[in-house]
Amino acid sequence: MIKKRKFRIVLVGVLSALVMQLSLLAADAKVYVDISSPAFRRLPIAIQEFTGPYGKDISDIIRNDLDFTGLFVGIDKEAFVESPSSPFNAKNWSSLGAEAVLKGASSEGKTISVSASLYDVYPGTAILQKGYTTSKEYVRLLAHTIANDVYYLLTGEKGVFKTKIAFIAEGKGERAIYQMDWDGGRMSKLSSGGNMILSIRWARDGSKLAFSAERHRQWAVYLLDFKSRSEKKIFAAKGTNIVGDFSPDGNNVILSSSKDGKPELYSMDIASGNATRLSSSHGIEVSPSVSPDGKQVAFVSDRGGSPQIYTMKADGSGVKRITFDGSYNTSPSWSPKGDRIVYSGRRGTNQVFIINPDGSGLIQLTSQGNNEDPSFSPDGRYITFTSDRDGVKGVYIMRTNGEAQKRISPKGIKAFCPRWAPDL
Amino acid sequence: MRKIVVILSLILSVFIFAGCPPQKVVQPTPAEQQEMQAGSEAQESAKKLSGTKPSEHVSEKQLARIESKEEPSASQYKEVKDLFEDIYFDYDEYQVKPAAKSVLQKVANWLLLHRGARVAVEGHCDERGTNEYNLALGDRRAKSVRDYLVALGVPSGRIDTISYGEEKPVCSDKTEACFSKNRRVHFVILKEAGK
Repeated sequence: MIKKRKFRIVLVGVLSALVMQLSLLAADAKVYVDISSPAFRRLPIAIQEFTGPYGKDISDIIRNDLDFTGLFVGIDKEAFVESPSSPFNAKNWSSLGAEAVLKGASSEGKTISVSASLYDVYPGTAILQKGYTTSKEYVRLLAHTIANDVYYLLTGEKGVFKTKIAFIAEGKGERAIYQMDWDGGRMSKLSSGGNMILSIRWARDGSKLAFSAERHRQWAVYLLDFKSRSEKKIFAAKGTNIVGDFSPDGNNVILSSSKDGKPELYSMDIASGNATRLSSSHGIEVSPSVSPDGKQVAFVSDRGGSPQIYTMKADGSGVKRITFDGSYNTSPSWSPKGDRIVYSGRRGTNQVFIINPDGSGLIQLTSQGNNEDPSFSPDGRYITFTSDRDGVKGVYIMRTNGEAQKRISPKGIKAFCPRWAPDL
Repeated sequence: MRKIVVILSLILSVFIFAGCPPQKVVQPTPAEQQEMQAGSEAQESAKKLSGTKPSEHVSEKQLARIESKEEPSASQYKEVKDLFEDIYFDYDEYQVKPAAKSVLQKVANWLLLHRGARVAVEGHCDERGTNEYNLALGDRRAKSVRDYLVALGVPSGRIDTISYGEEKPVCSDKTEACFSKNRRVHFVILKEAGK
């Protein structure tokens, strides 16, 4: 008798220890998508068509947004068993392997109202239930707002779905600067146009855009100031002047000018117009890109006999060559995260490469057609670039590992020199 | 005996589960933990608000389209095109080639005879490089031709240089024949108006 009792006590003790261990495991905060982990698992998500007017467009935009991040696996619409207007029932989704489900409804009155609900399938509860209103012209923006909210809840990070990309488009011999949503929607003109425009660059606060243009046989650097709604010529020394990049505080522009004989790098104070020379070599210096902390500048120099990528300190000292592979490497652009530089290298055709600022970790990201002028998204997760793989130069985007390359500028329009606007 | 086996296997499973890796693959760094916290805090506030359905009005401040100011040409010269043929360069090079020297001599002679005229020397490239570097290369081509003309006696003040990089090709075929036609310097004579 005593033995049996002792046994039961021990059994209870061991079982409770077991239960405690298991519940400790479950008590960890629920992580939907751990994007910092090197071997993260894509989250299976079902995005159902929203009911009501614009419902399909809105859910299509959200699906496209989340799909591009590479962090989610979209459950095929054809497999859904629950109808869009039926209330959420976890059993209808767990059988499809979905772990998160987005449903919504829209209605149109004086304004357009949309309600969106994001469900966590395993507890079967809603983790987001929110309403949005907007006017007809901003329906796409509303969809991107929902996508941002979903992205933030599932990853803890801010999404890029409301960001824009500026670029140059050419038609009938005329060029102008345009802007479009990151997914290619809502294209609109930013400048009135001209014949010869090259190289657009955003100031980090998004209030100014610098570009190079040739007028009356003189290349100058111009500034589009969105606060004062004006265009100003800021650097027109006799020679070829090509804009490079803004300093982090937006008060200086680093540019390339051949005013002293051959193309060299200068730092120009916008307010005073004074230019300080940063480089001096017997070659060509062009295409500067300032690091996120403003302490270094990546640039192109052919001082070694062929164009290669170098870095230097912001005052022009400490020049280091970082590309040694290939005989033609140009167009460097620093990631806003500071950890990588993307550039265009010629291997027969021009391709996009990514490299660490110390020259290690070289990876080729593209292989089709000519791919030029790459630069990063504000969160450093995506790259935009120009590609002629479809015949005509167009604006493309991709993930920084080279996946999901796609054109976002309209087909058939010559579009190039894309630059992602800062995310404000 | 059986009871001992049961107890032992239960104890063993406690140790196995104790040694089990946590649900996440990677231990979070403090920064990541903050992000996770933010995520779960957002969940918490969303849960709190879910009964009342929070609402957001979506709109945007559009960037205005900016008009350029019309810039009058500072020049009172008239362009005379095609007086001289183009001269050509090797790939990625800006040195004047021997074959170009006779054309350059013609240009210099003409300028020395027509003292009121200027010449605009345009540097061009083929499309294979990237636009910014090509703009700089075209500048060097134009300047190396300018230096040669100065060496032939033309005052530098009568020579303008401009680069068009790869932006104004004369042909667009992706063939070496076309590429070599685009790697050029082109001369435009500027005669003083009225002369």
